[in-house]
Amino acid sequence: MSAPSLEQIISQATADFASCADAPSLENAKAKYLGKTGAVTELLKGMAQLSPDEKKTRGADINRAKDAIEATLKARRESLANDALNAKLASESIDVTLPGRGRGVGGIHPVIQTWQRCEEIFGSIGFDVADGPEIEADWYNFTALNNPPNHPARSMQDTFYVDMNGTDGLPLLLRTHTSPMQVRYAKMHANELTTKGKAIKVIAPGRTYRVDSDATHSPMFHQIEGLWIDENISFADLKGVYTDFLRRFFETVALQVRFRPSYFPFTEPSAEIDMKFDSGPLKGKWLEISGSGQVHPTVVKNFGLDPERFIGFAFGSGLERLTMLKHGIGDLRLFFEGDLRFLKQFA
Amino acid sequence: MKFSESWLRSFCNPPMTTDELAHALTMAGLEVEEVKPAAPPFTKIVVGEIVSREKHPNADRLSVCMVNVGSLSATPLQIVCGAPNARAGIRIPCAMVGAELPPDAEGKPFVIKQAKMRNVESNGMLCSAKELGISEASEGLLELPPDAPVGANVREYMKLDDTVFEIKLTPNKADCLSVYGVAREVHAITGAALAPAPARVVKATLTEVLPVKVLVPDLCGRFAGRVIRGVNAKAATPAWMRERLERSGQRSISALVDISNYVMLELGRPTHVFDLDKLSTSPSGGLGSLEVRWGKKGETLKLLNGNTVELDDQVGVIADNNAVESLAGIMGGDATAVSLDTTNVYVEAAFWHPLAIQGRSRRFNFATDAGHRFERGVDWETIPQQLDYLSALILEICGGQAAPIDDQTINVPARKPVTMRVNRAQKVIGVSVSADEIAAIFTRLGLQYSRDAYRFTVTPPSYRFDLEIEEDLIEEIARIYGFDNIPALPPIARSAMRVRPSDQRALHDIRRAVAAQDYFEVINYSFVDEAWERDVVGNANPIKLLNPIASQMAVMRSSLIPGLLANIRYNASHKADRVRVFELGKVFLRDATVADGELAVQAVAQPLMLAGAAWGGAAAEQWGVAKRAVDFFDVKADLAAVLPAGATFVKAVHPMLHPGRSARIECDGQLIGWLGELSPMKIAMFEINNAPVVFEIYAEKVMFDRAKSVEPVSKTPSVRRDLAFVVGNEVPVEALLSSLRDVAGGEVRAIDVFDIYRGATLNENQKSVAIRILMQDTERTLEDADIDARLQKMVASAEQKHGAVLRT
Repeated sequence: MSAPSLEQIISQATADFASCADAPSLENAKAKYLGKTGAVTELLKGMAQLSPDEKKTRGADINRAKDAIEATLKARRESLANDALNAKLASESIDVTLPGRGRGVGGIHPVIQTWQRCEEIFGSIGFDVADGPEIEADWYNFTALNNPPNHPARSMQDTFYVDMNGTDGLPLLLRTHTSPMQVRYAKMHANELTTKGKAIKVIAPGRTYRVDSDATHSPMFHQIEGLWIDENISFADLKGVYTDFLRRFFETVALQVRFRPSYFPFTEPSAEIDMKFDSGPLKGKWLEISGSGQVHPTVVKNFGLDPERFIGFAFGSGLERLTMLKHGIGDLRLFFEGDLRFLKQFA
Repeated sequence: MKFSESWLRSFCNPPMTTDELAHALTMAGLEVEEVKPAAPPFTKIVVGEIVSREKHPNADRLSVCMVNVGSLSATPLQIVCGAPNARAGIRIPCAMVGAELPPDAEGKPFVIKQAKMRNVESNGMLCSAKELGISEASEGLLELPPDAPVGANVREYMKLDDTVFEIKLTPNKADCLSVYGVAREVHAITGAALAPAPARVVKATLTEVLPVKVLVPDLCGRFAGRVIRGVNAKAATPAWMRERLERSGQRSISALVDISNYVMLELGRPTHVFDLDKLSTSPSGGLGSLEVRWGKKGETLKLLNGNTVELDDQVGVIADNNAVESLAGIMGGDATAVSLDTTNVYVEAAFWHPLAIQGRSRRFNFATDAGHRFERGVDWETIPQQLDYLSALILEICGGQAAPIDDQTINVPARKPVTMRVNRAQKVIGVSVSADEIAAIFTRLGLQYSRDAYRFTVTPPSYRFDLEIEEDLIEEIARIYGFDNIPALPPIARSAMRVRPSDQRALHDIRRAVAAQDYFEVINYSFVDEAWERDVVGNANPIKLLNPIASQMAVMRSSLIPGLLANIRYNASHKADRVRVFELGKVFLRDATVADGELAVQAVAQPLMLAGAAWGGAAAEQWGVAKRAVDFFDVKADLAAVLPAGATFVKAVHPMLHPGRSARIECDGQLIGWLGELSPMKIAMFEINNAPVVFEIYAEKVMFDRAKSVEPVSKTPSVRRDLAFVVGNEVPVEALLSSLRDVAGGEVRAIDVFDIYRGATLNENQKSVAIRILMQDTERTLEDADIDARLQKMVASAEQKHGAVLRT
């Protein structure tokens, strides 16, 4: 039997390395070829008898074979290391579909989200935001708004009274609307308007109260009051601002708005504002959305302003109503039950 | 107000459909709330006359009627009928074979077929008012008047192809509280011709006069009355009048009452009919006299509705020589009311000043149609004409003879001319409506005016109580010009930047911060059960509502926390095992130190509070996280999201909280809120099974951010040293830390607790507090000697102040 050729040794080594399943057996196999008594080492030893020329060519051949075997070995080592890493990573794998851990995030009440949205929309054209007392004096809630005691318009709003009297001797009450804030805010800023020409431009969102309770009336609810007084703010401006507001709030221009004559003691002309969607589940129905009008001259006088010089509009809208229309909610009571199953839907 | 369309159109009949008319009214400020047919659809129902009635041979409760339907059938129709009032001679609605009765609940009409009922042929059906859909109650066959034309279509005969309008009137539209008033408005809106107001003249055949003394001109501005004798109070109200009354929602009562109601509905004129024989007589037995005056304390009056009211000098009355007989302008008295036996009456129409009527009936807790009109204002000029009209109807329907009208005008309102400038109208409305357009609008409204190029001067008619100032006229122009025709303009305004100062936080920022800590915002009522205030909050004197709608909403809350506890209970009862809620709302307290102010009401503190409650697991139940109930420290950490830097927690006792697990939250030495575990006693009251941790903070105290001071980040290495101190259990950790801070130099960057240990290696009353100290100098690397010297100082301070021993 003749000695194996270099090619045979290389292919034998390649086959041996490939059959090794782990690093130790690969190192053993390496010794078979490259070790002290390995096949390649033996071949190098056998070169002693050769002539220098033969040594030269033979040596080069053997070294090439050695390089080839070492390259194969290196590739096999890397491959085994990769396999081992892959096996390790595979064993560490997790179920990425499991839920994330830790504490969740809560949410803001849907009516308050509406409130925020209104602040953003009116804020974008320079309206200030104001808040004031909820237990209110008769004068601010009624008389200053041109609604003196015993006036038939008082029966439009059934009022809660408390067991305390104001400085005028009349019982204090829970404000029936946010309109008292018109008077309070305007009185605070009348001087700036008169002397510096700074328009009174404010919204006053907040809680309001009326003696009323069913699926569409709550004894407590939220209103947003709007007031803009300057030298030349007309009813046409009211129509413009409020129509724009509704389209921004409901984020659609597929919305009709109509103003129809009404009566409030504190505005004249007074308008009820109705809106109608052109699409969606409420399509085609006129929906009452707000009371509004040009501020009555008596009220402007009560602001501490000259009604001859200053005019403007006011409106009052229900925040629950806006929220119900936006989200298609049918029962007002859901807002006040604190039911997390309801509230979580708005998070 | 309800009325039939046909009645309205009898005065003003514009060429518009019902829906167009309703829309036009709505858009002029007379909101049409409902438009309803007077009767549902049905066909082939005619006036029939029962010629004969026999008992049904095979059924006790049925009868067999022969019914004459005139030319519609050569011979009378045989119809089986179950109504007890079926009898020969009466005229009734008869549904012929093929007739469709009003649809049922599913909308399908009921078709009448030829049928055999218990072996007797029946060729139609005799109908009740209920079966025609014009009445809720069924009282047997609807008996028509004896002169109803046999064979006539019932729909036409009864004028059932009519519509009932229901309109919602605003308090200023006193002039529209009558069908004629609405007709006047339709004329103004549409321009269609307006018929003159109905009027009749009565020739007086008697001469007597009941003397009336009006003692209070502030109460009664004009008073007219007359005697009518020999009336038949039992006379039937004519069908046309009954029909109009019923379509106005007014039940027919008796002829005299119906006529008075009719005149009120048609013309807006409330009147009162006294039974003359029940009024007191003069000493000689002749006619007595009446006086109009304020009531007197101690007087009482039993009203028509059966209520007895106590009078005083705030309410007007009509009294005879004996007693008060009527509440002026509101309701008549029971003692002098007309009955079916009445033969002699005194009819009265007056002008009561609105201010003398307003609020009066509300005091007595009832409302009347008369009071509703008088407190808004009723025309005083037409009193005698309309009293004549009322008298004529009485004479026509009940017979009798009338005495002359006794009419006294005492003190009627002056109608001051109102001037309106054209340019002011244009400025307020925002439209350049011309003077000629304005003139046309005033003319249509029936307003008398004089004008020049720039202004109009209007003298309001006596039926208008809402035209006193320039704006009142501007409103009329806008209304008739049409709100729809006014453009919606984007206003032109000077612009100026406005933004919140950066050191202030909006309420919405605070909300977002709390919500981010896994709390859901709720809105609870501001009024609560008194027991919550007394027993939970410990407030014995809450602000009470005078007119609460329910006992659990009787007092104003002084804390938001009970509401949050109720939210926990509610959600727990719906299977929630973890509830975290917060609310931002005002609370209300009596506080003598509060004075009236720009945003304050005397003696009432109304601070805005932020409160939260956490109950159940510290985290939601989930895989890989050990279950642990939420505790004080979890919520304390949550509060870091909202509290200003430097807020401290001081052990303190609060009536709602566990005495060992509650803290005052302070900032710069000021109380800003509370945090703690709910007291076990309160837990039981809310039927909750574990202690929630709650907090309540003055919102205004967290509405700002501290100004930020920034230092450069040091490049020198930092050093960490851990120390464990053994101290008595009673030593608050904050106190221990503060003893270290007191002597910490500038190089000490942080002192933090990282472990608390109690256990076998310590005495029972001791704890070990492990503290991490970070040191770093901004300029140089700290030497070991510097570090050790500093640590020694700190250890010494802890030892000196708290007997702390360094654990080794």
